[in-house]
Amino acid sequence: MPHLNKKFTIIADDFIRAGEVSIQIQSILKSIGFKPDVIRRASVCAYESEMNVVMHGDDGTFSLDIDEDLIRMEVRDQGDGIADIKLALQEGYSTARPEHIAQGFGAGMGLPNIKKNSDRLEIESKKGQGTCLKIYINVHDSNG
Amino acid sequence: MTAMAKSAKNPGNVNYVWIDETRCNGCVLCMKACSTKAIRVKENRLAVIEESMCIDCGECIRTCPRGAIKTAAAEDGNVDLSKAVLIVSPVLYTQFGANADPGKVISALKKKGFLHVYDECHAQELFNIAVEKYIRENRDRPGVSLPLISPVCPVAVRLIANRFPTLLKNIIPLLPPRELSAREARKQLIKLHGLEKKEIKVFSITPCSAKMLSIKSPILVEQSYLDRAMGINSVCNYVVKHLQSGCRTDPTHKTSGVGIGWCMSGGEIAAMEEGNFLAVSGIKETIRYLEKIEMGMLNGIDYVEFRTCAEGCIGGPLTVCDKYQAKHTVQRIVRTVGPERTVKKEMALQLYEKGWFFTKKKNEPCLDEPSQRSFSRAIERQEKVENIHQQLPGKECGICGSPDCRTFAEDVVDGRASLEQCIFYRRVPRKPRPASGGTSGGSRDTGSNEKRQVSKK
Repeated sequence: MPHLNKKFTIIADDFIRAGEVSIQIQSILKSIGFKPDVIRRASVCAYESEMNVVMHGDDGTFSLDIDEDLIRMEVRDQGDGIADIKLALQEGYSTARPEHIAQGFGAGMGLPNIKKNSDRLEIESKKGQGTCLKIYINVHDSNG
Repeated sequence: MTAMAKSAKNPGNVNYVWIDETRCNGCVLCMKACSTKAIRVKENRLAVIEESMCIDCGECIRTCPRGAIKTAAAEDGNVDLSKAVLIVSPVLYTQFGANADPGKVISALKKKGFLHVYDECHAQELFNIAVEKYIRENRDRPGVSLPLISPVCPVAVRLIANRFPTLLKNIIPLLPPRELSAREARKQLIKLHGLEKKEIKVFSITPCSAKMLSIKSPILVEQSYLDRAMGINSVCNYVVKHLQSGCRTDPTHKTSGVGIGWCMSGGEIAAMEEGNFLAVSGIKETIRYLEKIEMGMLNGIDYVEFRTCAEGCIGGPLTVCDKYQAKHTVQRIVRTVGPERTVKKEMALQLYEKGWFFTKKKNEPCLDEPSQRSFSRAIERQEKVENIHQQLPGKECGICGSPDCRTFAEDVVDGRASLEQCIFYRRVPRKPRPASGGTSGGSRDTGSNEKRQVSKK
């Protein structure tokens, strides 16, 4: 089965380039021709997870895997990690710093948005040991 | 496509943006400037425009140092001017610096023999009121996706239709002011002069290289109410001559500060009552914002005014005056005549209720339901593109004839170019390229390089 893998690096605190990785991912998904809804959901997940790394993650890597049934995104960073994953998944819970809030981020919707727009989300994280998100999106008949 | 090739494909149409081969020397500047990657510099070392990808934005016209890129010459010798109407973009008023008096410009154009000369300002003011009303009515309706998008800039509309078809539904279904003006001018002429609908020709004087395309293959209307577009640059000399010979102000002309403000980026939304509006100008910025909107990254905004020319229509490729000087003139005229509306709101709202502003055409993106097989082919293609891209030097030089390394990789995979066209691929033994621009990885095909080096010995 044809399979595409592409890796990206995300630079921490670089708000000028923030969002570039998601835009590239969106463009790849578009050129493959997935349904607009699938592209939108994948783009939202990519963007939110990219922003998480930019704001909290130190530097990180973004790995995109695509085959004809599944889009898989693995986002890894070396940041502080998430102390309480359950809490982090609650809408409105935010650990954003004032400088993030000043830029319009930090509404506490990052992880909840990824959860809402993906078909499966796995979070591996421990305080002080970085975070790894695995996001899965079905290309066919998924409900989001 | 060259001029001739383009007209062969569009029989009966004039060409829109085309390359004059006698002037083109095959440099890469237009190709680099093209935001839809529609230009290639081919074997014969001349630039060619891929018609299906070109949106007539005019970025290449502005960039070419040799003046080799041109737009449709809209002069038509056979038109009987006594049955023709001119719809003037107020940008024309901004091209003459201190001499700018809109009434005099209108008077000069009337001397050319046109039956009537109108400007778009009146329709722009009415349009503003209609948009306010439309936003109020639809903002909170379920199923409406925000932000709504202005239908005014023809390049932005075509860009959305070509590259962001899911956003077509965000474009508000109102006719842009130039179409409203043209429709009403035609109606008025039939009434006043008893002319047949078909006899009347409606011309637009415009700063915009995409007007011709928007007239001949419109997206937002079934058929345009305009017949022809002429560049501002094609009438400027004529107007200047008349201004210098001291022509008088047209007594019937009423200058509208609102309409003249429209020439600048932000002018359309500036004339609307309070709301969450955003103005974006420049082709690259427009694309960036459309990407954001598509990803749902732009929240809290009800309406976006896009102008793909930097600073708005005063930055149009068919203007003659520098956009910043034109902006200065706009501000000066608005200060003189005042920023108030000249139309009555009640009248506009009555017209709105009658459906006067609305386009009848429904804009649904025609998206084919993709099949499993087409996914698998597309993924395979993308994989090949990534592999080739990894082998390229990432110099983004354009010497191969494609605008950047990634597009070159796509061209190679699609059979439009051969890898040998990359001079670095040919000459330099390849090393793994470090991650740059946020990307890295993908499998590299080093095998073919070794083979090639062996064969050279």
